[in-house]
Amino acid sequence: MIRVENLSKSFGSLKVLAGVNLEINKGECVAIIGPSGAGKSVFLYCLNALEKPDSGSVCLNGVDITDKKTDINKVREKVGMVYQNFHLFSHLTVLENIILAPVKVRKLTRAAAIERACKLLETVSLLDKKDNYPDELSGGQKQRIAIVRALAMDPEILLFDEPTSALDPTMVGEVLAVIRALAKQGFTMVIVTHEMNFAREVADRVLFMEEKGIYESGTPENIFESPVKVKTVAFIRKLKTFNYNVNSYNFDLIGMCARLELFCGKYAIEKKKINSTNLALEEVVTYILKHCYEKPRQPDINIVVEYGDIDKKIVVEIVHDGKNLDPFEKISAAAEGGAVDPDDLGIFMVKKMSANIYYKNENDLSRFRIKI
Amino acid sequence: MQLFTRLAESIHANLIAGNSYLQILSGLKVTLLITLAGLLSGTLLGAIFCAMNYSGSKTLKFAAKTYIVVMRGTPILLLLMLLFYVVFARTRLDAIYIAVIAFGLNSAAHIAEIMKAALGSVDPGQILAARTLGFTKFGAFYHVTLPQAGAYARPVYQNAVINVIQWTSVVGYITIADLTRVINATGARTADPFFVIFLGILIYLLLAYATYLIFTLADRKKKVIR
Repeated sequence: MIRVENLSKSFGSLKVLAGVNLEINKGECVAIIGPSGAGKSVFLYCLNALEKPDSGSVCLNGVDITDKKTDINKVREKVGMVYQNFHLFSHLTVLENIILAPVKVRKLTRAAAIERACKLLETVSLLDKKDNYPDELSGGQKQRIAIVRALAMDPEILLFDEPTSALDPTMVGEVLAVIRALAKQGFTMVIVTHEMNFAREVADRVLFMEEKGIYESGTPENIFESPVKVKTVAFIRKLKTFNYNVNSYNFDLIGMCARLELFCGKYAIEKKKINSTNLALEEVVTYILKHCYEKPRQPDINIVVEYGDIDKKIVVEIVHDGKNLDPFEKISAAAEGGAVDPDDLGIFMVKKMSANIYYKNENDLSRFRIKI
Repeated sequence: MQLFTRLAESIHANLIAGNSYLQILSGLKVTLLITLAGLLSGTLLGAIFCAMNYSGSKTLKFAAKTYIVVMRGTPILLLLMLLFYVVFARTRLDAIYIAVIAFGLNSAAHIAEIMKAALGSVDPGQILAARTLGFTKFGAFYHVTLPQAGAYARPVYQNAVINVIQWTSVVGYITIADLTRVINATGARTADPFFVIFLGILIYLLLAYATYLIFTLADRKKKVIR
């Protein structure tokens, strides 16, 4: 169905893909995972000639789409694509979005196109939204409509470019359910995704992209349970990190805590540890904002929370470029004298409940590392 | 009572005596003609400059940009004078045509900018999506880019139209008997300028309002982007 041979692509001097080979059979569902910038999306774009490869060939159903003589518009009709940011036509209603291409490109009658569109809308339970405009819909609804729009052209191949990356966590499920149903129907699909659990569940084959190509590939069990190569292992493990950046004096503390809890919830981390992590983040960040930065300088505090699935330990790393100030030194000095400055009470608590804590300053960056 | 008598006198002297109202009407006709013909040529020319700006050729791009910068910075009255007294001085071209050319050249620069901004405001992702669905380059432009860019441009274009209407009031400088010039002449003849100038302002106001109405109606027919 899809045959990629020796595909290479660079942007200027930056080589993104080098000599990629891949064959995908009819009815197969392939998930592509990998770090950002590994060329996953570019690779996907090459599959329907949205990006022109520098060398190599891409054959869909035996038709070489890199050949200049191929009518690429004709080929694209049979390749549906769903984007991270939906890209629904904002000047058209949901129904008009879906029937535009069937009527104008495939020359279906309007009535036939509407009938088909309504049937498809029903399968994603959005028929009652058919006369709404895209900006009246939630992200999850938009993405389901985008999938229907692609399906309305009766594609043989479906390409998904991070279909859930722009969605609220609450809406990911509804979109994944639709894609899952399509996989069951036996569509040939290529999905670039960051949803590891989903990739594992739905894909027949998982490709890990790194180093300008397909670094490791195999069944979901192979890749997720027993990855062989170094970078795959690191990627699969390292995924369990939480990142947050504080760049304002009145940053969204509650929002940060909520996201952290969501992150912890995903990996079933026990409640006590979540609370300790929350406390550590809150106290240390407040301390840094209060003592290490002065207006009008904008704070820049990077927070990384790592969760090791094996040792069940949480490591909080906080890096900032403000004043070099070690709060723990002061506390230990105070602790010997018996009394703690009420101002430093928060930091004192963090020190008490952490298993290990350390502070270091190098290259003008101050680094806190707190093990919980 | 006296007010009414004076108003009746003014109306008679300025509009009725010697069929003055006919002159005012013909002045209005000239103003409308210059506005419409100027806008039409300006829009066509503007589209060409806009296309040049989007083209791959550096020379074309540079030419369009230079033209736009120069034209937007040149007062329309000086442009009119340049065309009338210098460029077309030896030809027997009617001054009205010269005015149409001047307004076409001038509004083209503004309209090219409006079009550029409108095209730039269309989400490139939607064009990409259209291409993925099998639309040709032109099909995607016609079905996705154009309706959206049009909706963005409409209010700004409306302003440009009203601007042109009002700026046509300077064409009297190159001997054209447009609305403003007729009004000026009438006021001078009857030695009662207040009435007729006030009337002139009213007419320009109505023209602006009519423009607004036409655009609003067009907006209602087509769905607006929110």
